[in-house]
Amino acid sequence: MSAFEINTPVIRQLIVKDWILFQKQLALCVTAGIVALCLIGMAKGWSFYLGSLLLIIVLVSAACFSISTSMLVERKDQTLAFVMSLPVSPLDYYLAKLVGSLITFLAPFLVILVGTVAVILLTPLPDGLLMLALLLFGHVLLAYSVSLCVAMAVESEGWNIFAMVGSMVLINPMIMLIGQIKSISSHFEGDHVVWNAPAISILLTQLIVSIAVLLITGWVHTRKKSFY
Amino acid sequence: MTAAFALSGVSKHYEDFALKDIDLHMPEGQVMGLVGVNGAGKTTLLRILSGLTRADTGSVEVLGHVMPADQVAAKKHIGIASEDMRLFKTQTLRWHMDFIRTIYPDWDEAYAQDLLRRFDLRAGQKLAGFSHGQRVKALLLLNFARRPRLLLLDEPTTGLDPVARDEVLQVLAEVLRDEARSVLFSSHNTQDIEQIADTISFVHQGRLLASKDKEVFIDEWRRILCQGTWEGAGDWPEIAAARRNGSMLELKVRQFSEAIIERLQAQGLEIRSTEAMSLEEIFVTTVRSGAAA
Repeated sequence: MSAFEINTPVIRQLIVKDWILFQKQLALCVTAGIVALCLIGMAKGWSFYLGSLLLIIVLVSAACFSISTSMLVERKDQTLAFVMSLPVSPLDYYLAKLVGSLITFLAPFLVILVGTVAVILLTPLPDGLLMLALLLFGHVLLAYSVSLCVAMAVESEGWNIFAMVGSMVLINPMIMLIGQIKSISSHFEGDHVVWNAPAISILLTQLIVSIAVLLITGWVHTRKKSFY
Repeated sequence: MTAAFALSGVSKHYEDFALKDIDLHMPEGQVMGLVGVNGAGKTTLLRILSGLTRADTGSVEVLGHVMPADQVAAKKHIGIASEDMRLFKTQTLRWHMDFIRTIYPDWDEAYAQDLLRRFDLRAGQKLAGFSHGQRVKALLLLNFARRPRLLLLDEPTTGLDPVARDEVLQVLAEVLRDEARSVLFSSHNTQDIEQIADTISFVHQGRLLASKDKEVFIDEWRRILCQGTWEGAGDWPEIAAARRNGSMLELKVRQFSEAIIERLQAQGLEIRSTEAMSLEEIFVTTVRSGAAA
């Protein structure tokens, strides 16, 4: 087997393993996300703010749980050596972790994203809010990718916590920054979703940088020398 | 015959430790005991062989596969258990058995059930509730039941109570009856090594001091008790250690032969006894003398 061939059956087993190990936390995140969406959907002042806050907490928690349970706990509990003793190469392990982490994160992320879109479009809330929601979801996706990259490339627990907390906390400046861009924020209370160039540019940047970060992580990971 | 493994000029450097220029090989079907004090380099050597870490220099071949390039093919036939390797504590042993079974087609469920009974383990129990001994036995079960061609065991009996240690050694002895199976067993407990190994290798401060057939080791070393005065013990390369106790002189001799007795007598010494040495004594003497055994 060459260095670039992948051991698909074992990668699949490792992904299933991660899914089984973390399904309880995921169920909790999805449940909390649904509660948050119900609060937002009530379209009352207090419920909207409470629901929005809960939704952000749930998204950040889903991202942190996914990374910490699949990557950091594996290293801390010394189960990494057990996994790497299986017939896998560093590339196989990276792919299993990448896909496993993305699934465990994207499952609640997409459920909550679809729920948010539905709540904004189907309730009395202004449809223009959808762009703000998408930009915030985009930020969480980017913050998750950066945190996952650090978790895979850096073994220091301190740096991993810093990366996760730091990137997620930036959601507040992000909300303020979007508020300052009038071409985007002036449509939030409107009846229609406005897809203008500034909003699309930010969304595309978030998506492209997220993918680039994950690819760089793979390149770094396959060059690591120790796995225990 | 294929080599179970072959290391040539292998080095690995860490900030405060280095494994230096290791040349070592083991034919398939053998049991090699790797003896060394804590921090000697045994674990690093096993990690390099199992693909958990890459050597900085040198070549590594395991079961005919070049490491780390062919590690996936090699790992299909390697079982590794080390003291610092942990299982998933939130899951049961049964979950681990099923997980391993899906990856290794040679998994022997009947043998796994037999080991469960003999190790007195409960498959339905979560790993979080396992004692150290139970954890070690669970890891060995997961390795033994998939019947690997090469077993790399890093201090498997360390920290076990006498009963658990005996159970592990008994099962290991059974595994070793299969002549196609190779085992590299590291320990600082020379008794365990002496009990099961065919070949013994001494590692100290990142260097390989000696690697020989167990019987050759035992045959080559002698403790000679002499009476008389002689100051030239340090000049003979065969004499690894000399200690005076009153009028008695105790010599620990490597590469022993009858000719040495005659030469000692020629120095005016009266030989009182010549005794075989235990592996532990040979190891300690080798390490203290700092030379190859």
